[in-house]
Amino acid sequence: PAALPPAPLGFTDVNLNSRNTYEVSRRRSAPEHLPHGGTAPAEPAPPPQEPAERARHRVGIAGAGSSFAEFFTRNFFTKRTKELKPAVQSAPGWKLFGKVPPRENLPKDSKIIQQEYEARTGRMYKPPPPSARRKNIEFEPLSTTALILEDRPANLPAKSVEEALRHRQEYDEMVAEAKKREIKEAHKRKKIMRERFKQEENIASAMVIWVNEILPNWEGMRATRRVRELWWQGLPPSVRGKVWSLAVGNELNITPELYEIFLSRAKERWKSFSETSSENDIEDAGASVADREASLELIKLDISRTFPSLYIFQKGGPYHDLLHSVLGAYTCYRPDVGYVQGMSFIAAVLILNLEEADAFIAFANLLNKPCQLAFFRVDHSMMLKYFAAFEVFFEENLPKLFLHFKSYSLTPDIYLIDWIFTLYSKSLPLDLACRVWDVFCRDGEEFLFRTGLGILRLYEDILLQMDFIHIAQFLTKLPEDITSEKLFSCIAAIQMQNSNKKWAQVFASLMKDNKEGDKNHSPAPKS
Amino acid sequence: MQKHNQKEHLYKLLVIGDLGVGKTSIIKRYVHQNFSPHYRATIGVDFALKVLNWDAETVVRLQLWDIAGQERFGNMTRVYYREAMGAFIVFDVTRPATFEAVTKWKEDLDSKLILPNGKPVPAVLLANKCDQGIDVLMNNGIKMDQFCKENGFVGWFETSAKENININEASRCLVKHIIASESDPVQSVEPDIVKPHLNSSKIFSCSACFKS
Repeated sequence: PAALPPAPLGFTDVNLNSRNTYEVSRRRSAPEHLPHGGTAPAEPAPPPQEPAERARHRVGIAGAGSSFAEFFTRNFFTKRTKELKPAVQSAPGWKLFGKVPPRENLPKDSKIIQQEYEARTGRMYKPPPPSARRKNIEFEPLSTTALILEDRPANLPAKSVEEALRHRQEYDEMVAEAKKREIKEAHKRKKIMRERFKQEENIASAMVIWVNEILPNWEGMRATRRVRELWWQGLPPSVRGKVWSLAVGNELNITPELYEIFLSRAKERWKSFSETSSENDIEDAGASVADREASLELIKLDISRTFPSLYIFQKGGPYHDLLHSVLGAYTCYRPDVGYVQGMSFIAAVLILNLEEADAFIAFANLLNKPCQLAFFRVDHSMMLKYFAAFEVFFEENLPKLFLHFKSYSLTPDIYLIDWIFTLYSKSLPLDLACRVWDVFCRDGEEFLFRTGLGILRLYEDILLQMDFIHIAQFLTKLPEDITSEKLFSCIAAIQMQNSNKKWAQVFASLMKDNKEGDKNHSPAPKS
Repeated sequence: MQKHNQKEHLYKLLVIGDLGVGKTSIIKRYVHQNFSPHYRATIGVDFALKVLNWDAETVVRLQLWDIAGQERFGNMTRVYYREAMGAFIVFDVTRPATFEAVTKWKEDLDSKLILPNGKPVPAVLLANKCDQGIDVLMNNGIKMDQFCKENGFVGWFETSAKENININEASRCLVKHIIASESDPVQSVEPDIVKPHLNSSKIFSCSACFKS
């Protein structure tokens, strides 16, 4: 709880960004401490004054897995090199394996080890001899320095020439392999950092565009190609709530005042419910008071089960009452819909991005969209239409997986219900779910189903290997390490075209079939 | 590991009951041996798989279908009942309304699901959260036995997912009845009949099952 930011806006984003920024700045600061001109081993070496503890920590970050090796070199090196020299020099004939004569090459290795050691501990640092200079190598592999080739102890028979030769060769291969791997990993890390940094720059510059250009000219610009492309990249957290609100709209013309009215009604109801739970105030003739009260009771049960890992919606958490209010007001505003499980997740995501009244307005309007209305009213026949439309595009885009699912009778209701009811906020990591919401606000219901296909595409190879129960388990609990880059590239690859028909047309024709089907079947005695 | 003469059974089991009674927690305890007070609400259905080495010759694989509890989902979730072999119906001893809903869940189950032999699927009643010490219903075991008989449950258990009480026992009880009903479909499967060869010492832990 101590880590909670004071402002309700964009809680998780703040968290994520600050972490990223921290890491970026920390990593970027490392090269500044490097001696210039390639005079020293290039691994970010701390200045001599730096406490050893911090130094180890930093190296540990920059070269994952190397700190153990470092520990050994640091503690045992001085003694080791002395032992090492005669040992390696005594290996005869190994110059066969390299152009460089052994004597020159060999001390260099130990010198480098020594330099690294000195640089790291900050003691005895002096510019190394020219022969040891390394230019343009940004990462000095560290772990290899712990790997030292030695002769047998004096009390054991010495290695034979062949054996020594073979060991030398194996040793060289191991060192070369380890270096290669470390350089590769270092490059990968650098690339990730570059990408992350670029991403943050993109978000910052996108924010300027959204705030200065797009939001002031919303109606004129929202449908332009440029805005749509920028939108796909993900909304900057600071404008996310605003854009969602604008995109969802307010067809229902709900005002903050209206929200207050429904909220106070909900509060009255809670009060009377807790005071006289047995007594029935017959205020709404016909409407079942009991149902609504039960609905309010369910809200209480569900709130603590909404994003439990965030610890902010649970009882005593900062957003507990807020979530309770929004959901309670909604059940009073729309008693015909009431509270349905899944709503708490949607309201929670909105609350994380919008002020209370705005969150309610967006919530009520979002739930008023045809797809959401069908699901939250549990209009089963309509839901089946959505599943059928989904399957049309499933078969079109992923025919192999589609057949695989068919062979197990694995129908979309197994996994889609959770995804659609919560708009992926329960099944995807929250930051990724928000990105799905971004484009859902842009493209509408179609994007929810496209996202589902994107997920199936992303994991197609794994899913093709699984049987029913494992697929069902997998899809109802997706891996937590799913990344936005991978998912969005898979979503982008999903074509929402089926023999020139788009989602809306496919869905409309399924609806038409249904009506005709109804007509044909209606005279039958059994419905 | 698996021996040649081993038989393998695959059973689909439903876990149903009102919202928030602890269905997911019971499954997590049973399958993953852990408990957290912070499970997310189940929307639709969740899944788990439990493999039991039933006896030397038999491996039982339980496919657990953890079905969302909101009454509203009734129409939507009934498709999940298809081909189930047994069910746990769960209620929360601290909330009497969830016990009142038990008969509704049982009727719903029996109306939508019948075994090939025409009998209702074996169902075990779980009185969950018994660690909470609010014994509104439990201090009268005879009444509960009566209730189960009247409503066609093959047994009932006081359970706690939190304290790991009686969950394995309840499962063994249900599986035992499934095997019994499956192994001889012609026989009239009364709840109190247990096939002799199944009556091993292990199975005696199922103390709440009816044995007349």
